[in-house]
Amino acid sequence: MSANYILKRIALIFYTLFIVSVLVFGITQILPADAAVMMLGENATQEALEALRQRMGLNDPVWMQYLHWAGGVLQGDFGTSLRTGQPVGPALFSALGTSLTLAGFALIFMLILAMPMGVIAAIRRGKPADLIVGFISYIGVSLPEFVTATLAVMLVADMWGLLPPAGYIPLSQDFWGGLERLILPVVVVSVMMIAHVSRMVRSELVDVMHTDYIRAARLKGLHPRRVLFRHGLRNALLPTITIVALDVGYLLGGVIVVEEIFSIPGIGRSLMSAIQNRDLPVIQAGVMIMAATYSIVNFAADLMYAWLDKRIQYD
Amino acid sequence: MTNSSQPVLQIRDYSLAYHVPAGPVPVLKGINLQIERGEILGLVGESGSGKSTLAGAVMRYLSGNAHENDGGIFLGDTDLRAQTQRAMSDIRGRRMSMVFQDPATSLNPTLRLGEQLAEVLIRHRGLSRAQAWREGEARLAHVGLKTPAEMMHRMPHEVSGGEKQRVVIATAFACNPELIIFDEPTTALDVITSRQILDLFAELQSETGVASLYISHDLALVSQTAGRVAVLEKGNIVEEGETRELFRNPVHSYTRALIDAVPRPERRLVQPLAAASAPPLVTIRDVSVSYGRKSLLDSVLRRDFQAVVGNRAITLDIRPGEVLGIVGESGSGKSTLAKAMTGLNRFDGLIEFDGRPVRGLTDMNRDYRRDVQIIFQHPDASLNPRQKISEILARPIRLYGDRADGSARDRIAAMLERVRLPASYIDRYPHQLSGGEKQRIAIARAFLSNPRLVICDEITSALDVSVQASVIDLLMELHRDTGAAYVFITHDINLIRQIAHRIAVMYRGDLIEVVEADRIGDSDRAPYTQQLLSAVTAPASALGG
Amino acid sequence: MTDFLRRLLRTPQGFLGSLIVGLILIAVALGQWLTPYGPADMQALARYGAPSIEHWLGTDQYGRDILSRLLDGARSTVVMALLATFIGTLGGAVLGTGSAYLGGRADEFIMRTVDAVMAIPSLLLALLVVSLLGSSSANALLAIAIAFMPSMARISRSVALAVRKQDYVSAAIARGEGSTYIILREMLPNVIAPIVVEMTIRVSFAVMLFATLSFLGLGAQPPATDWGLMVSEARQYLHRSYWILLWPSAAIALTAIGFNLLGDGLRDALNPRT
Repeated sequence: MSANYILKRIALIFYTLFIVSVLVFGITQILPADAAVMMLGENATQEALEALRQRMGLNDPVWMQYLHWAGGVLQGDFGTSLRTGQPVGPALFSALGTSLTLAGFALIFMLILAMPMGVIAAIRRGKPADLIVGFISYIGVSLPEFVTATLAVMLVADMWGLLPPAGYIPLSQDFWGGLERLILPVVVVSVMMIAHVSRMVRSELVDVMHTDYIRAARLKGLHPRRVLFRHGLRNALLPTITIVALDVGYLLGGVIVVEEIFSIPGIGRSLMSAIQNRDLPVIQAGVMIMAATYSIVNFAADLMYAWLDKRIQYD
Repeated sequence: MTNSSQPVLQIRDYSLAYHVPAGPVPVLKGINLQIERGEILGLVGESGSGKSTLAGAVMRYLSGNAHENDGGIFLGDTDLRAQTQRAMSDIRGRRMSMVFQDPATSLNPTLRLGEQLAEVLIRHRGLSRAQAWREGEARLAHVGLKTPAEMMHRMPHEVSGGEKQRVVIATAFACNPELIIFDEPTTALDVITSRQILDLFAELQSETGVASLYISHDLALVSQTAGRVAVLEKGNIVEEGETRELFRNPVHSYTRALIDAVPRPERRLVQPLAAASAPPLVTIRDVSVSYGRKSLLDSVLRRDFQAVVGNRAITLDIRPGEVLGIVGESGSGKSTLAKAMTGLNRFDGLIEFDGRPVRGLTDMNRDYRRDVQIIFQHPDASLNPRQKISEILARPIRLYGDRADGSARDRIAAMLERVRLPASYIDRYPHQLSGGEKQRIAIARAFLSNPRLVICDEITSALDVSVQASVIDLLMELHRDTGAAYVFITHDINLIRQIAHRIAVMYRGDLIEVVEADRIGDSDRAPYTQQLLSAVTAPASALGG
Repeated sequence: MTDFLRRLLRTPQGFLGSLIVGLILIAVALGQWLTPYGPADMQALARYGAPSIEHWLGTDQYGRDILSRLLDGARSTVVMALLATFIGTLGGAVLGTGSAYLGGRADEFIMRTVDAVMAIPSLLLALLVVSLLGSSSANALLAIAIAFMPSMARISRSVALAVRKQDYVSAAIARGEGSTYIILREMLPNVIAPIVVEMTIRVSFAVMLFATLSFLGLGAQPPATDWGLMVSEARQYLHRSYWILLWPSAAIALTAIGFNLLGDGLRDALNPRT
């Protein structure tokens, strides 16, 4: 891996954010909402509205508005919320922290479950264990988050009363209480990824175990454990890094639904309410932050892959 | 452990069948073989003969649907069939080991070469990591690697194919086994590299006296390597004997057919060119091909861009009706030139066809396309899997055919007969045909447009020896009948000496020289040509006669 | 064709998938004639009914027959998902194959831009489009189609590039075939199979996305029988009857499983070499 490659990837992140910003800005411009009316209310006078439009630059050409907005974003200023009148940036970044906590726990939980599931299914191919894992993953990829969430709340919270049905407490405030409320959301948001990733791990490992070098390792008389762990798993898990990173896009989508259902004050929930209220600056900033998160995770995954797999010579 | 009177490997009345949904498919039938200490037994067979299954049976590494009879396989006095998998893992790598066909796939791409060698020493000789590493270095030095300490730390992709195979061989010899199975160990390597590997093998073999089972499809190669040869045909050992004797007096018809199919340079299959002084059909002037494109980032940073060179200023003539051979190792640019001539690669320079200049894709008009045809190496890839033979063969007729020649279907049927395939194949899909049959379809497609130049890009390398011989016969027959010139690209030097009028030698994108086929062995040839020729295994007949 | 069906039904995935999808399509086509109740018929006396002889799956908060509503909803949910997937696949395929065909800088530019759009989670992209166009089933359809385009473009491009490199395409070029023949007869039949497989699996995603949009209140609006909407409404009456929640959830899951299985079955059946 060369400095050249890293440079290229970073340039790509900026290109991605540029495209996303144009897209989001474009969409929010077409939205049938008048920011001035939203801020001053339906009963405001024409003069007051016109004055506000002038001040906010709403009468400028679209491209000037875009440059103005993008310039602000580059300086860390995401504008002010039309609904609350507060700066968008700080509120969204603290919400992002909450969402990342949720997503992070979900990622770890997913890896802890999906990896062994995939490995067991692969080494016991065609046996009951494989069929069970296959069955679970078919069910898993076929359940949208809102169904899993509703069913989980119905069973675990309402009928059995094991866990609180909703709510969020920051871990820094009350660690165990916060964790207790995170369990259901984390499980729900990771179900789909567990199903997908365990299937990928299985098929990668099955492919690897059929390669010539695994046969060679076995015919060298190596211990089966060494053949599996040192020769097999390493090569099978490498492509999984990329798959998991791509799935983060899906995870972020799931986070929106789960935050909505479990009333977690994360970025997904902020975005949902902004979309319902046509709060343009919040929508713009929220989508940008989500896209940036996704891009950075994928960049990190590519770096990790290149670092682990010395074969690949990026240029 | 083994007393000297006993053979190292003994196989008695061994049969094996694979059970598939359609029923059992017998693969090995009543095999009897033995190998003494210090002996090399060559096992020759074509694809599907069961030779790899036999190797698997000896190593006790068979797929789940393999069903064996109660025949015996003994390593010394150890009954291998009575061993558990656990016991076998103690035997594999220590008492018997294996060298595989392709070192690029038999080494783990993400582990250092040193680790892949040292792990065997740790496992079977109980060495510590440090001891194993030191011993590994010594082993690598022993197989002729110049910088063993460095080599231990390299990853497989960082070394050449020959170096990789040396590491695999060092690993196989690491625990001084009683038996080593070589499964086509040079097939994936270039001519010169395989010669070096064979020399190394001979040296190590005579030094250690290990018993060897040398599996190959290449009769010529086995005739030079093995003391005794067994010929495997469809699961039966049809003939076995001392190498010289077997090649001099082959008893079984299959053995004879195999020996006859091996190309022999002195047996010319092509008539001398009638009009050697006629103006050339094709003139290639300073044709260069390079790959790669300057990236945006390079332009932004004002960096120099280094293109990958495929061909460097090739200049060459092809005479009407001539068979021009192009030989060279992989990466020498043989196929790149073929692609440039057929408009599949951009090129700089000039190609003149029958006096018409061609400088690029746009100059390749209908006439040029009709006159110049290409046949590819893998018929699996060059025939569209979703088209029937009828559609595949109808295309050249529709594009270039004469209305007067009768219906397309009749012409296809006639062409199928010419390439000696049954007319009923017209409604089949490619995957319903064998490899040789598919290549005949590809040949038929090329000749249906009555071309004046046919480019054959390694068209026989994916085929078995006997199939290859019949495809060559067909090509030579078509050559006599149509008078088309051929550009025949191959790495098989014995074969090209049989069929070419002139031979062009290429090396790393450069044309080294073009010589008359019967003068390629002369002493005033370019050094690379001489090196190449001396690396070629002399054909079996040289030994027999 | 019969040969293809035999191959499809030979694998367990293909068999189960065809069975489930077949049943769902029957429900879509004949749903309204299969039950004696209309999807909006309210029976005040039979609210929150558990499954019984008269109401096989029970009744909801207004005493409407759940089975009738599910069958009615199948039409909107499944047909919408199929349409959205088809439009999204078509758009993506045109974009992806076009990009592969153009090659060079244009290809790089198009694909980098597609990658950039993929940085927005597809659910979020769909949410944005719906909020732009207004909440309705038709707009949700369009939103999902648009959300699918980038990833379908990526897949079609890589399939098209792989096919483009095959020797049979080189052979056609060397033979002097026109681009129309090469694209339609040499490439398309080989490109289409993997895209059909991907499309089938995508239908299950579309069903789920659709349901999610309705659930979030951005797709179909009450009193529609959209499955996602039914789940959303049922949540309030959870303590009275969990059947009204369970059945639409199961319908979504079953449909998604069916198309997933069918896609995996097709993958094996469409491989010409097995």
